[in-house]
Amino acid sequence: MKKNHKGKILNIETVAKDMVKMQFATELESILPGQFVSILIPNKTLRRPFSVADFAKGVITVIFKVKGDGTNYLKSLKTGDIIDYLAPLGNTFSLANSGEKALLIGAGIGIAPMLYLNKTLRQNGAETFLISGFRNEEEAINGSDKTVIGGSVLDNIQNIIDEFKPEIIYSCGPKIVLQMVCDIAKRNGIKAEIAMEKVMACGIGVCRGCVIKLNGKEGVKNASVCADGPVFNGAEVIWED
Amino acid sequence: MGRLADEFKNSAGQFVDLSVDFKKFKMKNPVMTASGTYGYSDEFDAFLNVKNLGAIVTKGVTLEVRPGNEGRRIFETEAGMINRIGLENVGIEAFLSDKLPKLKEKGINFVLNIAGKTVDDYVRLAEICENKGITAIETNVSCPNVKSGCLEFGTDKNCLYDLISGIREKYNGFLIVKLTPNVTNIEELALAAQNAGADCISAINTLKGLGVELNFNGTKVSKSFVQGGLSGRCVKPVALSMVKRIKEAVNLPIIGLGGISCLKDLLEFVAVGADAVQIGTENFTNPDIAERLVYELAEFIAVQGFKDFNNLKEELRR
Repeated sequence: MKKNHKGKILNIETVAKDMVKMQFATELESILPGQFVSILIPNKTLRRPFSVADFAKGVITVIFKVKGDGTNYLKSLKTGDIIDYLAPLGNTFSLANSGEKALLIGAGIGIAPMLYLNKTLRQNGAETFLISGFRNEEEAINGSDKTVIGGSVLDNIQNIIDEFKPEIIYSCGPKIVLQMVCDIAKRNGIKAEIAMEKVMACGIGVCRGCVIKLNGKEGVKNASVCADGPVFNGAEVIWED
Repeated sequence: MGRLADEFKNSAGQFVDLSVDFKKFKMKNPVMTASGTYGYSDEFDAFLNVKNLGAIVTKGVTLEVRPGNEGRRIFETEAGMINRIGLENVGIEAFLSDKLPKLKEKGINFVLNIAGKTVDDYVRLAEICENKGITAIETNVSCPNVKSGCLEFGTDKNCLYDLISGIREKYNGFLIVKLTPNVTNIEELALAAQNAGADCISAINTLKGLGVELNFNGTKVSKSFVQGGLSGRCVKPVALSMVKRIKEAVNLPIIGLGGISCLKDLLEFVAVGADAVQIGTENFTNPDIAERLVYELAEFIAVQGFKDFNNLKEELRR
């Protein structure tokens, strides 16, 4: 199956301040939670990676925060426009089994892959709780069991863990949040899987531009966020400054 | 896609011949992919049929495994990017045991790019390549990322001569020397490579560049610098100039690279002296570009009425 595709935009709308939801047509049979698409931006050298926020047969949904040239270009597109994208890229979250409890934490636009993961886990019969956090009311995206506005998404997290008793924590968001999520998970003896972000060049693992260091079973080694990730076992990630 | 380069016929009704014959090394067409942008080609199976390319050039391989540089490695610029990967690679042993069998099995024509810190590193790599029957190697003497090594070889004609002579003594296959543009006098380096017994020159490697990122929080400024090699569409005029100067200085065949993203670019490089080209950064933007260029070239030759790639080259050089 080739990974380069073109797809027609089926819907594009602003869902919160500077947060855009874009849905486009795909012939892919499946794309899993954690995986991402890499979209071509005219006159830009680097494609822009976006994690999948939802998938149904024939339709991929991404949600992105409008930040720079790439996302501003995408925001300007209209229904019916064609985008050039690579997919599916990257690895996936390990999916909690039926009956297991999973806590999902999305910080800011990090909620995007959590929405698709949450939906998939629930379909699989896992019990989930999705908490998300946003800087302010205007930027908040719907779909969580609990939404924290202002402050940190982690402010009350220990109480939630004590009450919900998750077997696994999944998270996506800024590095500082992910690092804290990993600490919290470790303290509580719970496995954490985090989806990371880094500037990518190729998106497929060849250029070694987006590597991080992991401390795994075979010792310290490099891993590319684009191909070995973006999902990593939080206990193995070595955080750089 | 579906189309193959050899579907196109010239005005005499023959299939368009794109082949490039460097004597010691032959390619079915002049489109190669540049070192560092293609890994060992496995990942590109999802985008194109790598076998249809003239050749791929592997990621630079060193004697030992290298983890590469710490910190940020990529910075996007206007019409290009800066990288400071630092030669992260699997090392020659893993290349021979894991990557080489796959390339052979798939029938992919390849050039092994080699890099080292000392003359001895390169000579040992050359010896290994000779013993393992590697048909073609490209010496990375111009990687601007590795301290105490590569850049010196690529910027000093005497060092380069000694290095290439040392490799030549041990290696009888097709020896390509990849030159850096970060020099005042590219001609004397090309000549040094020729005098030392190189079979071919590839040019250019990346240009030294600095990416600067400034962030303001009120009056508080945070900044980060990414010093590395600039590549992509923005370097094409520099590369064309270098290839032309090299062509005028030496008799060796030349593989041109630097910012090629379309057929027009490819033709420009051939016009100034390139016998083949490598596609680099554009592989990141459009991962199927190399294969697309192969059949765009065949179609162009057929439609314009040239006999074959050699005929096109002659006319472009006239």
